[in-house]
Amino acid sequence: MTRAEFLTRLRRGLNGLPPETIDEIVADHEAHFVEAAAAGRQDPEIAAALGNPERLAREVRVEAGLSRWEAEKTPSNAVAALVALIGLASVDILFLLPLLVGVASVLASLFIAAIGIFIGGGAALVAGPFFGPPGGPLVAILIGIGLMAMGVLMAAVTAVLTIWLVNFLVWFARLHYRLLKPALQQNESGEI
Amino acid sequence: MPEGIEIQLKKGVLGLCVLALLSARDNYAYEIAARLADDIGMGEGTIYPLMRRMQSDGLVETYLVESPAGPSRKYYRLTEAGRHAYEAQKAEWLTFSRAVETILNAPAPSMTGEIA
Repeated sequence: MTRAEFLTRLRRGLNGLPPETIDEIVADHEAHFVEAAAAGRQDPEIAAALGNPERLAREVRVEAGLSRWEAEKTPSNAVAALVALIGLASVDILFLLPLLVGVASVLASLFIAAIGIFIGGGAALVAGPFFGPPGGPLVAILIGIGLMAMGVLMAAVTAVLTIWLVNFLVWFARLHYRLLKPALQQNESGEI
Repeated sequence: MPEGIEIQLKKGVLGLCVLALLSARDNYAYEIAARLADDIGMGEGTIYPLMRRMQSDGLVETYLVESPAGPSRKYYRLTEAGRHAYEAQKAEWLTFSRAVETILNAPAPSMTGEIA
């Protein structure tokens, strides 16, 4: 692989990151080629030692996604980190995927149920006293407030569980980081 | 996962090695990569994501130096936080590796006597 080809493929793989970041990463690798050439090495050998440019790019993107999630735990960052992880196309993640989809849908339905209970509680609180409920208006109001509090609590617990889940995935992904594989599998790193 | 241990070991130690090299003197990525590739057999491509991460963690910072061979070089130096991280990780590593060494060098139990 030539220097130009390596850098082009790296740049293409980084597509989607901020342009300054892409330029910086590509410049770092270009400098690597310059230094290595000055040390008397040939471009194809340098490229092989660096590893597959697409995989390097994927790993940089995953790292960027994970850092954003760790800096700021917002739903969109969680989605970005998960999408990047799945992009890594690690076999382990693929194995986990059905399980993940299951857990994620349970969490999503818990959220929806929490919202439903909250709205139901609000309705009982506002409308309940006018329908002559058994036990009098006060009971309806108390039940309404109780349901709303339950909805809030459920949503909070679900949020905590979701953060745990994403944190676990981040930890799992780091554990399975494949950056070092090129060093351990010299044969594989040379091929495309 | 038999290879897992080796990956984990190298990965864990890689950051410490970079901190150690930079604590001796400021350096540029190629030389760090070449050195670590020779000494502990890590992939040269590993260094760039690692340096980016250490930079965003505030352990290292960069500056440019005119180079006789072509464009200016990006040098890395340890920040105050990087220096602290180095001291802490080095102490941890030494404690850990001494413990492992002690276990590895423990005399084998004799073949004849039962262990009490």
